[in-house]
Amino acid sequence: MTVTEGQLQRPPAEVRYADELAALRAADDDPRPPGWRLSLRAARRFVVGDERAGISRKFVGHVSLVERALVTLATNRGLMLVGEPGTAKSLLSELIAAAVSGDSALTVQGGAATTEDQIKYSWNYALLVSEGPSARSLVPAPMLRGMAEGRIVRFEEITRCPLEVQDCLLSLLSERVIAVPELDGPQGMVFARQGFNVIATANTRDRGVNEMSAALKRRFNFETVFPIPDFDTELALVEAEATALLQQSGVTAPPRRDVLEVLVGTFRELRGPAERGERMATVMSTAEAVSVAHAVGVRGWFLRGEAGTAADVVASLAGTAAKDSPEDLARLRRFLEQEVPRRKGGQWRALHDARHLLAD
Amino acid sequence: MSSAVFLGVRHHSPACARLVARAIATLRPAYVLVEGPADMNGRLDELLLEHRLPIAVFSHYRDASRVATSWAPLCDYSPEWIALREGRAAGAEVRFIDLPAWHPAFTQRAEGAANRYADAEARYAEATGRLCAHFSVDSVDALWDRLFEVTGPDDADALQARLDAYFDLVRGDAEADAGDRAREEYMASWVSAAVAHAAGRPVLVVTGGFHTPALRSLAQRGDPVRAMVPGLRAGLQREGSAAPREGAGPEDRAALQEAAQSEDPAAPQESVEPEGTPAPRKGAPPEDAPAAYGMETPWPRIPEPPEGALGGSFLVPYSFRQLDAFAGYQSGMPSPGYYQRLWEHGPRDAAQGLLRAVAERLRGRRVPVSTANLVAARGLAQGLALLRGHPYETRVDVLDGLAGALIADDLDRPLPWTTRGSLHAGAHPVVAEMVAACTGDAEGRLHPDTPLPPLVHDVTEQLARLGLADAEGGVTLDLADPSGLARSRVLHRLRVLGIPGFTRVSGPADGADPVFTERWEPDAGRGGREAVTAGGGREAALIEAGAYGARLDEAASVLLAERAEAAGRDAGPLAGLLFDAVLCGVGPLCAELLDRLAAQVGRIGALGPLGEVLASALGLWRHDRVFGAARGELLGGVVAGAVERVFWLAEGLHGGDGVDLGRLGALAAARDALLHAPDLLPLTREAAADAAARIARDPLAPADLRGAAFGLRRTLGGADDPAAVVRTLAPGILGDWLAGLFAVAREEVTGGAESLVDVLDDIVAALPEDGFLTGLPALRQAFAFFPPRERERIAERLLQRRGTRGSARALLRTTADPLQLARARALEENVARLLTRHGLRSTP
Repeated sequence: MTVTEGQLQRPPAEVRYADELAALRAADDDPRPPGWRLSLRAARRFVVGDERAGISRKFVGHVSLVERALVTLATNRGLMLVGEPGTAKSLLSELIAAAVSGDSALTVQGGAATTEDQIKYSWNYALLVSEGPSARSLVPAPMLRGMAEGRIVRFEEITRCPLEVQDCLLSLLSERVIAVPELDGPQGMVFARQGFNVIATANTRDRGVNEMSAALKRRFNFETVFPIPDFDTELALVEAEATALLQQSGVTAPPRRDVLEVLVGTFRELRGPAERGERMATVMSTAEAVSVAHAVGVRGWFLRGEAGTAADVVASLAGTAAKDSPEDLARLRRFLEQEVPRRKGGQWRALHDARHLLAD
Repeated sequence: MSSAVFLGVRHHSPACARLVARAIATLRPAYVLVEGPADMNGRLDELLLEHRLPIAVFSHYRDASRVATSWAPLCDYSPEWIALREGRAAGAEVRFIDLPAWHPAFTQRAEGAANRYADAEARYAEATGRLCAHFSVDSVDALWDRLFEVTGPDDADALQARLDAYFDLVRGDAEADAGDRAREEYMASWVSAAVAHAAGRPVLVVTGGFHTPALRSLAQRGDPVRAMVPGLRAGLQREGSAAPREGAGPEDRAALQEAAQSEDPAAPQESVEPEGTPAPRKGAPPEDAPAAYGMETPWPRIPEPPEGALGGSFLVPYSFRQLDAFAGYQSGMPSPGYYQRLWEHGPRDAAQGLLRAVAERLRGRRVPVSTANLVAARGLAQGLALLRGHPYETRVDVLDGLAGALIADDLDRPLPWTTRGSLHAGAHPVVAEMVAACTGDAEGRLHPDTPLPPLVHDVTEQLARLGLADAEGGVTLDLADPSGLARSRVLHRLRVLGIPGFTRVSGPADGADPVFTERWEPDAGRGGREAVTAGGGREAALIEAGAYGARLDEAASVLLAERAEAAGRDAGPLAGLLFDAVLCGVGPLCAELLDRLAAQVGRIGALGPLGEVLASALGLWRHDRVFGAARGELLGGVVAGAVERVFWLAEGLHGGDGVDLGRLGALAAARDALLHAPDLLPLTREAAADAAARIARDPLAPADLRGAAFGLRRTLGGADDPAAVVRTLAPGILGDWLAGLFAVAREEVTGGAESLVDVLDDIVAALPEDGFLTGLPALRQAFAFFPPRERERIAERLLQRRGTRGSARALLRTTADPLQLARARALEENVARLLTRHGLRSTP
């Protein structure tokens, strides 16, 4: 590898956690599914962490979800991770791919313009014209490579692809072979090697999984990834991430814990258990909470030289909640007006008092 | 030397039940002491009749200030049940040794209706949470299965040792409260007495594992008691050098201890010390118990309920549905149907049976479940079991496998078995069926020789006293008469409990219904006499209902509370439940029921039904004289919850046009509550007025709601002029806005100078023909909120304004429907336009 970790903005998981992967592999004496770099148990430890072995916890969520995901990948069905945006679906798929194949780079990014070429293979047209179709002029796309090399392929945001493009996965997932009709002989059929499987992610706020064809649905096991269930865990995560971001921004005052509690509490409330009413159109994800916490710290520090207050939370929330719709702004206002006064605690009162900061 | 052997169990754990059976078989104890209400001791024969389980020991208590009911459920695999049955069969004396359920030791955390064997689970959540993290599992139930229920061909000593380590660990962490300490002191006194009476023969003590460490140290303090049987001891001493075993036994035990040590290195590891007195643990009682008991030690006294109070324990039939934690009760373990199979046929069959049961249930519901799906589910379950280190698939493995293979949708909330909690209404249908398959549908039945539950006697006595026992021709009750009301209440309670006998054929339909008589007829198809006396159907239904309470009023309250729980966010049944609660009368448990209803009301999702619930609750609170609910505090919670909810929903309601009478009714009901029952509401008048002002200003809110909110603000003392707002409204929404305004604040806006009518007249007169015709229906609807007399006054005013003379009444009573006139007018307009367009119109 020619670039070192330090030069990359965000190295892939297998580079970031190379030491942990190596340690796990060295100590791994459980049976490995064919084509896997780690056993299921070691892969699970890689994702959910193991303090005693010095493996960090990378995914905060139900362990059983990770277990089901790993076992699914060891069968002949693909894994479909669905959930709200910002629930760390992509992170989970990256971590699993890094653990299972030692490589999370075989990724198809789904979108309206995704074509079959970007999924299976395309051609080097200069070579194609000069030499005709050959293995040399073939440019393999992630699926073909994953199958040939027996690795996990990630398909991000699969539901954003046109349906007909999604359906090109059908034969590939059931027959486990890609035909390259342009090539003769054995090269014309690329069979999947052991270790190949697909992790797709889909976002419930986009076109949902309901539009997927039933045939394709049947080839995946679905796992819904939920927002962090536990308040303290989420608070700790927001605190850690926001502190790091603030340091990068040159803010030396760490965020105030009581302010963060109010912030995270607000996010969790607006994220909405169904009982409280309609949910926000804006995604109130943990990632969004981190960015609001960051904004709060920046405001407090550069405007007044302190850590940021509940009033800053209101001001920053306005930007987050109003991003998509005035509806959400109204929901936020209703929350501040009606729900916040019922809560006990100084920062909640401060939040209520600052409600006028929500611009009309 | 005497010896007491303490066996800590988890309630409803098959593994613990097996250990109990084994301990009885190997020890041949003289006494088997079981955690359970000591006041049942005189009636153990009754308990050990050939019942079909599950059954429950139902305990009730009532005095002037407090009513409490509790259940101690027993099923085939309950360790307590095995202890009683096997102990008796082995010739031991069996005894319950815990305080009676009515004792104040239980009241600190117990609500009005509690489950004895709910036990301390919630309180050692922290320790179990740590263990869950250590073993990488999500819930205590999964952890428990892994460590204790689904193990390989494990030897029982190892299981016992793990169990002891587990309970020591969790008890070391949890704070025992005063109630626990009182119970433990009492149980320890039974142990000491039994040890004294046993004269050296073993005494087996079976209690919840939470209590075992404390009991052990209490016993050792007073008496040289061997804390464990030698065989069990050996299992502990062999640590490290234990013979290789299948399954994850020794590692788990080491891990349990490691998990304990990593958090608290100073914690005494008494369970692995060979002998010696362990230090008293946190929460152990003070050292003031009697030092020793001699041979003449009397058995502990069984506490009597205080003077003037009633209390007792009885057997009632129970069901798996009631037992299942998913259905709401915090019983020891969820999914009784699964554990019944595990108990009967072992873990392998239990897993297969569960898979089969889920597939059958789903196919019965016409959810397609293909063979390929089942193969995939099985494969996933097996893979998960391997990954998790289970020798067989556990309950969670099977459920996870099924969920992975059968659910091809995104879920609204995490799978219920990953967390501890109840299944939410609206859960994915596949998930709901899976949970139901785990629950099973077994229903207990008492042996015919069992004394009848107290409810049967209570009902018989009440019917006889009120002259209802032989009312062959039905009864007509005058509700204004106290005796009529009392009889009505009894009949309603029976109706709510589903006891056959009488059917209500007429009576008030709601709180505002000015009907004061009620007619009840004997059930059709039965001879009246047979139905109301001890007829077979009635008695069977009463025995079954006996599980809900000892007295008719309690039982009806408990059942209504259960229905309220089941109704969830669905507003439909709530108003009916509220009225049922009032019809059944104010029982001691009624407060709890109404609290629950208040909570449910706070979750209703639509304004219309919410308004109806609020209006009927408020109506009962204000006007009901018949049923005695007027001005009572009982309905206050429901009213308060509903008003808050109305504002919450109204402020969030955006979009939509037209007039929705339901939401206007909700705001009108909130207005009534604010005006007539302000003391019930936590919401101040100012806060309500502010909220109303925000809604009135909100451009996204529907026009009728804005009008209503404006009216509400006006009613609460706002001084805004409606005429000014009306001028700014688009003609298309004018009628809607006015409908809202008039629905809530008709009197407030038309009094005085009547400027609103003037302004409206100007606006309407200035409307173009088209605009008038489209706006007319809504305008008419708006003015329909005025009674005829007021409408006539407005008409007079209009005639006056225009200087026209004429009859205002005639203006209101046109020969044809004005809307039809308007339609005719529109048609004429249209024709005229067409003619003009085609140049066919003769110029006038």
